[in-house]
Amino acid sequence: MSPEWIEIGRGLCYAGAGLAFGLAGAGSACGIAIAAHAGAGVMREKPELFGRMLIMIALPGTQGFYGFIAAILIMTQTGLIGGGPLKISLGSGLALFFIGLGDGIAQLVSAIKQGEASAAGIALIARRPESAGRAILFPAFVETYAVVALLATILFIIFLTQPSVLQSVTG
Amino acid sequence: MKASADYMTPFIKNRPEWGFVGGRISALEEKLLPREFFPSIIEMHHTEDIFQHFQGTLIEDYLDPGIPWDDFSAVADECFYDLALSLREDCPSPVPADLFLIKNDYLNIKSALSGMEGTPFTPGTVSAEKIDSVFSGEYADLPPAFRDRITGAAIDLGELDESLSDIFVDGAYLRHLLLIAEGIDSPLIHGCVRNRVLGHAISSMWRVIRQGRDLKQVVDYLLPMGDENPLIMEMAAAQDPSSWPEMVGGEIGNQLSRALQMPFDEQVSTFELKVENLVVHMASYARLETSGPERVFAFLAALEAEMQNLKLVVTGKINRLDDDVLAQRLRYVYG
Repeated sequence: MSPEWIEIGRGLCYAGAGLAFGLAGAGSACGIAIAAHAGAGVMREKPELFGRMLIMIALPGTQGFYGFIAAILIMTQTGLIGGGPLKISLGSGLALFFIGLGDGIAQLVSAIKQGEASAAGIALIARRPESAGRAILFPAFVETYAVVALLATILFIIFLTQPSVLQSVTG
Repeated sequence: MKASADYMTPFIKNRPEWGFVGGRISALEEKLLPREFFPSIIEMHHTEDIFQHFQGTLIEDYLDPGIPWDDFSAVADECFYDLALSLREDCPSPVPADLFLIKNDYLNIKSALSGMEGTPFTPGTVSAEKIDSVFSGEYADLPPAFRDRITGAAIDLGELDESLSDIFVDGAYLRHLLLIAEGIDSPLIHGCVRNRVLGHAISSMWRVIRQGRDLKQVVDYLLPMGDENPLIMEMAAAQDPSSWPEMVGGEIGNQLSRALQMPFDEQVSTFELKVENLVVHMASYARLETSGPERVFAFLAALEAEMQNLKLVVTGKINRLDDDVLAQRLRYVYG
């Protein structure tokens, strides 16, 4: 394996990490904005619902953290953080790139859709404040798939970065 | 929203920029009166009892305990217009609110053309100063739908009798509605406005026939009406309302057909009521949407119907109208 291939593999892996947290963060920002617009409108008429609105508005923010976790895991498992950099073949680099990209897309879409579901839940709370418990369930269902995407990402990263797959540059 | 031939098949198409006003409307909708509220207040014998039932509703803040009940219509109008203007400020586009606000402007123009000073109705988008210019025969500051028709056809409004003048203003109002609706991409709003315009045009023509006038000579003052021109001219040529349902077709044709089965004196008013109910019913599909211009349109349509019902019941009670008559005249509400 030539050194150039090693460098391309490592570059692809870090690009995947960047896409994982970049797309997830962008999705969370969009999702929170969608829910916040609706929440602010409700609070214009009913400021007493602030507490219930806050939970609904904050829900789409979790995807940004999931993307961050995936990115940090890629970086620690490949030695960029907390260890010597490892040899990463082109195949492993491509795999980690697409894992990061896939996770980023899943988090991006789920955050935006969760923002829309939160806005719908906010509309329900505005009309029937006693339904707050049920209203939170709808965006929570969307959250399920963000969590599933994160779990799959973690498993893929762990298996792809086992010592038998990657070798230490110095070793 | 997706338009079918006659009716709307709604699906959720959220527009985040309408999120704030959508959220606000969600909170306001809780204060809309339920359908069963109106029959219950019709059964009350004292207007003071009705006052008690307005607590927690949108009109509550406008009602002082000492307010004379004779002023109730003005209070209801003020409540509607204040809220419509306030929502208009929160909307990314003024179109949904303007579709309701211009109604009073044209009523004020009608009033000014008949020689009455001031603005008896709360001004919407045309200020009281601009309405005052009508007295001096100046129409330059009035909406283009009104102004352009006068200059285009060289019509002298001062020479028209009040009935023709009213038809002319009605035509300008309906053209203005169509013009405003073109300013927004919403098949649901377009469908509702088209039905409202067509219904209003038909009832205006029907009243002309009831006055014993030649509709073919009068209809020119109502036109042009965009895509509806050929239909209106065909109806004017027929001069016979019983042949109109087939020409109109669709939901409006059905409502026209049902109205024709009513006693002679109730036909036109029944048709007007049915068209308004149809528009509110169509607009109520917007409740399936979280944020969008349709939410604003639907809420204002519902609020307008609610205020009309309140005015009907309270003034009906004051004038000791029969309870059954009041119940028949109630408009559809979706609160």
